Amino acid sequence: MTYAIEAEGLVKRYGDKVALAGIDLRARTGTVLGVLGPNGAGKTTAVRILATLQTPDEGSARVGGFDVRKQAAKVRELIGLTGQYASVDEQLTGAQNLVMMGRLLGLPRDQARARAAELLDRFGLTEAGGRKAGGYSGGMRRRLDLAASLVSSPRVLFLDEPTTGLDPHARNELWQVVRELVADGVTVLLTTQYLEEADQLADDILLIDGGRVAASGTPGELKATAGGHRLEVRPLHERDTEKVVTIMGGLTVPIHDLAEAPALLRKLDDAGIVLAEHALRLPSLDDVFLSLTGVSK
Amino acid sequence: MISQSLTLAWRSLIPLRNSPGQLVGLLMQPVFMIVVFVYLFGGSGGDRAGAVLYMLPGVLTQVALIATISTGMNLATDIDNGVFDRFRTMPIARAAPLAGRILADLATLMVTIAMSLLIGYVVGFRVQTGPLEALAAVGLIVLFAFALSWGSAYLGLMIKSVTTMQSMATAVLLPLTFGSSAFIPATDMPGWLQWWMGVNPVSHLASALRGLMVGGLHAGDVWISLGWTAAIAAVFVPLALRAYNRRVS
Repeated sequence: MTYAIEAEGLVKRYGDKVALAGIDLRARTGTVLGVLGPNGAGKTTAVRILATLQTPDEGSARVGGFDVRKQAAKVRELIGLTGQYASVDEQLTGAQNLVMMGRLLGLPRDQARARAAELLDRFGLTEAGGRKAGGYSGGMRRRLDLAASLVSSPRVLFLDEPTTGLDPHARNELWQVVRELVADGVTVLLTTQYLEEADQLADDILLIDGGRVAASGTPGELKATAGGHRLEVRPLHERDTEKVVTIMGGLTVPIHDLAEAPALLRKLDDAGIVLAEHALRLPSLDDVFLSLTGVSK
Repeated sequence: MISQSLTLAWRSLIPLRNSPGQLVGLLMQPVFMIVVFVYLFGGSGGDRAGAVLYMLPGVLTQVALIATISTGMNLATDIDNGVFDRFRTMPIARAAPLAGRILADLATLMVTIAMSLLIGYVVGFRVQTGPLEALAAVGLIVLFAFALSWGSAYLGLMIKSVTTMQSMATAVLLPLTFGSSAFIPATDMPGWLQWWMGVNPVSHLASALRGLMVGGLHAGDVWISLGWTAAIAAVFVPLALRAYNRRVS
């Protein structure tokens, strides 16, 4: 197995504040590593170190086999970065932004234009391509931002909270693009505060909190660490809530034996309680998050 | 490195093409100043032709110095909105973003100066000396503004906030330009202001330009201006480069 991104013992301090307190991470080539954590967990710092924007105080990291500190120039040939801090020139049109990237990367003028047109088309920005990026909506700007990172056809892509502030439609579009990139063999490191996003996209998840790794594994493994199935019910009538709690011990209860669930539902039925909803499910990543960090999302 | 710098310079000049309003803005500045100083203040004695001859070198000085603010402003903008970080993650020369910026501002400066001269021509300004002297005048102001744009770059790299950068640069430049003999001779001023106008490098720069284009040149003004140019460059080029290296490393 090869790893496109590897880091060991990353430490970064800003004065007295410890942003990263020793983080190890690995992303298998051609997969999505989701780095999940609350605000201030150290996600952005980790991405900035891996993308050669900052140097770690301790530890080492390699991207595509190149050391981010000693071979930064090599790393930069492989990566693209999009997110809170990588951005576009608002004074330029969408097309001009992309042409500029192509020209900077050494493409001849006509090739840079062709690449820009291709990316604008892919991100549904062809029509907006002639307008200044400063007038774009949040979703359009984010797409242009991502397109700008893709001009170089990076093999490793860093997405720092790529969907923060996007509406569900724009978010789904972006997710689709990420899936397509991964299908092409691109390795993606994605930071997010949204558990659903990590669940949807990531092959592996690293849960970080306070600059440390709180847990890691596949989404399924992480959910399993938070315990087994649970039954959730919601009575149709508010007044029945108390009766439900008496019978079940709560509105959401752990189920140790799968036969327990139908038995409980029968008891509710016998008591004449009509349910608006009931569900038997594995814990969500929310539950994992809560149980591991003590932070309620 | 050179083609990357040129690409980034091209990028910095595009806004002028995208928004003709900005170009009009560049044009309006000298127009506005000529109207104010020649027609509002200068023409009261009736000698408009004389006022134009006195004012235009001052206007040229003023617009060139104000133009240097954009170097720091644009650097601060790039840092603030993340464009700078994007460049840093790309396989391009470390110095290219700074070199591109400075090249672009040099080009804008030339345009600004050309426009001021054009407007000067329209209102009746004619070079009274010779083409060589006029060229020397343009060279002098470009050199001075170029040196000063490194100071602006330093501020922009250190301050990061675009609005703070703008107000600080304006606070530095206004007393320098208006508190000089660029527009009004020092002879009519109270003593403390005369003293300030005497030491103010902008007074010498404006006098040197006036001498070179209109006549009555004191060589001392040219030397003092060149001395200030060298001093400003000696202080701010290393400071700006150090601040830049700290930002890009």
